[in-house]
Order: sequence, then C-alpha cells, then structure tokens
Amino acid sequence: MWNQGGYTDTTMGGGYTQSPGGFASPSLSQGGEKKGRTRATQIIPCTVSQLMSASQADEAFKVGDVEVAQVTIVGIIRSTDKSMTNIQYKVDDMTGAPMDVKQWVDTEDPSVDNTVLPPGTYVKVSGNLRSFQNHRSVVAFSVRPLEDMNEITSHMLEVVHAHMALCKPQSMTSAGGMNSSMASMSRTSMGNMGSMGGMGGGGGYPGANNMVNNGLSASQNQVLSLIRSCPDQQGISIQDIKQRLSGMSINIIKQAVEFLSNEGHIFSTIDEDHYKSTDNDE
Amino acid sequence: MANIIDVPKPRINCSMLSQHINRPVCFVGRVEKVHPTGKTFTVSDGEGKIATVELNEPLDEELSGVVEIIGMVSNKGVIMASVYNMLREDKGNLFDIELYNEALKVVHDFPQHYPFEGAVSG
Repeated sequence: MWNQGGYTDTTMGGGYTQSPGGFASPSLSQGGEKKGRTRATQIIPCTVSQLMSASQADEAFKVGDVEVAQVTIVGIIRSTDKSMTNIQYKVDDMTGAPMDVKQWVDTEDPSVDNTVLPPGTYVKVSGNLRSFQNHRSVVAFSVRPLEDMNEITSHMLEVVHAHMALCKPQSMTSAGGMNSSMASMSRTSMGNMGSMGGMGGGGGYPGANNMVNNGLSASQNQVLSLIRSCPDQQGISIQDIKQRLSGMSINIIKQAVEFLSNEGHIFSTIDEDHYKSTDNDE
Repeated sequence: MANIIDVPKPRINCSMLSQHINRPVCFVGRVEKVHPTGKTFTVSDGEGKIATVELNEPLDEELSGVVEIIGMVSNKGVIMASVYNMLREDKGNLFDIELYNEALKVVHDFPQHYPFEGAVSG
C-alpha cells in the first residue's frame, strides 16, 4: 500500500484522488516528467478568481505557490450553450465574472445523461484548468448539481484550507516532510472540520490564529511528532510516549494512537504497544 | 457600469454592509417579511441581524426560505437587488446559515486564499 522510498507516478491509493473532501494526497512533480498529465494527481478546490489570476508556465498553472491542474469550483450557472459535441456553461461563484466551463458530450453512450442543466442551478464542477489563446476555462469531467446548499459553505472552507495548507509546509506542526501532513489532511479534513473547535456550533470561529493547519488536534500532533522522531526499528512504546509527554493522560495518548493508526499515520510493530510512523525522516 | 454579474461580488453579512456602500455584494439570508407591494423585503443573516432588500420589479413569486441576493449597497445600507435566487432546502437538507456565517468570517480573514478579485479597485 505505502511505497517506501518514493512514490510512483500512478496514483497512490484509489481512495484519495476522488475523495469527497475534494483533494488528494500529493505526488508532487515526479522529478522532471515531461508530460503534464502525469503530474496532475491532486484535485484542488478553488475560486474562479484564483483560476483566472493563476500564473502559467508551459502547461502548468500556479495559484501562489500551489500548483493547480485538476480543480473543483462551486457556483451557479448563469448561462448555457449546447452544441452537438459539448455543453458550455458560465459558472459564477461570486469571486469574479462567471467562468467558462466546457463539458464534452458523449454521443456514443446512451446511458450518459446529456441534459443541459438550466441557469440558476448551483453546481460543483470538477475538471482541468485550461488556457487557450489567453482565455481561461475549465474542461469538466463532472458537473454535478448541488442537492445540499451547505456544499457552498463547505467549498468556501475547503478552498481556504487547501490553499493555506499547500502554501506553507514549513509552518506545519508535525516535523519533517509535507507528505504525512497532506495525507492526514485528505482523510481527516472532512472529519475534523466538524470537530474543530467552535465552527458553526457553540463558540463560533475563534479567529485565524487558533486554526490547526494539518487537521490533527494538538495532542495528536504531539504524539505523532514523538513517534516520527523515534529511530528504533521496533518503534516507540506507549509507555515511552507517556514518559516523554508527562502532561498528557494515558487515555488521551491511547486515543491519539488509535486515531493516528486508523488514519494510517502510524503502525504497530512488535506488539500493540509499539508504534512507528508510516512516514520516515530518512 | 459593467453588468453586476461580471464583477466580483464579495459575500457579506449585515455587519459588513457599511464597508461595502456603493459596491456590489452577495448577501445570503433568510426571508423575514415581504412588503405587500412585493418590491421590498427583509432578510436575516447568520447572526440574526436584519437587512432590507429593494427590487426593481415587484416579486412575481412567493419568496421564502434562504435567498442569495446580488446587488449594490445603497448609502443607507439597503441592498438594491439585481439578481436573486432561492437556495433550495427540499430533500431535507436545511441550509445552516450560522455555519455559512462562520465561513464568511474565514474567507474574510484569509483574502489571500479566497480572493474577491478587484473588489476594492472596482
């Protein structure tokens, strides 16, 4: 499952690339691949304004430091235009003028629904950012009408979360490479969005400073850092963790270990009390 | 003036109205009272504050539930609506407007990650 020592250019785990959270764990630029297609293994939630202002070098687009190829946007259809081979939409997400979205019509396959969605429909578009003669558009492989309008809210949050996290690997609380933090985000981001302190429930959003960047709580991050830093073959034991993190109760440590293990950040070694990180600092 | 659809329309709530006077905005709120003439109605945002919306033409339909309005903010803080659409809440998916309000705060806290391009310069 986890390839040691470098990822191949195929997608790592089937579950990640099309996760409902909207973005996958990365396999960033595989050492000078000429074909732009094989680099695009992430799908990044974006705003139309970001796509329009993204810088372009050859076939690669960048929003700030973040490379974008496959993207998702959420907006309302303002106009439609159907031809024999494609459907063109203008999708407005309020961040600028509506974005051109092109969806190819599969004339061969009778099971594929080619009904044009009417203006006024809120949709989630998944596709590739393209530029042709200085004109930006998204070539969509999916244009899905929203059934739950809370997806508008979740997309707003996902955009900020993804771009913030992908921009600043150095400030991640867990030590070492970006990979483990990314992996944690793609699986835990949806789950932790709900549990993150005060969002939309009681206390309300506490402000920018309190946000944990990688989707793990403070105690989970501390436990993970400790496990990652252990060089021993058999890993570090829960008792050792308790000794090193004297302020943390054994139950909290065990809960953190169970969570991290379920999410794939750590694995048990010689017994159920010893753990190593799946991502090594070597 | 350019068509309001073709410019950035920052998402705001009532607290932010005063910072967007004479600018295009996108306001999401729950319909409160509709005036008998159908040309004006009030909406409440995720913080429970009330804003007034005015239309060019009287409403030709029953307006209720959560509505997304695009318009200019007048000197008096009234939203002069150009376009509106109702956010569907059928299929049992109620729109969580308090959560949307939290998301508004997030996107305004991080304009570098959620740009309303050219909103200031116009």
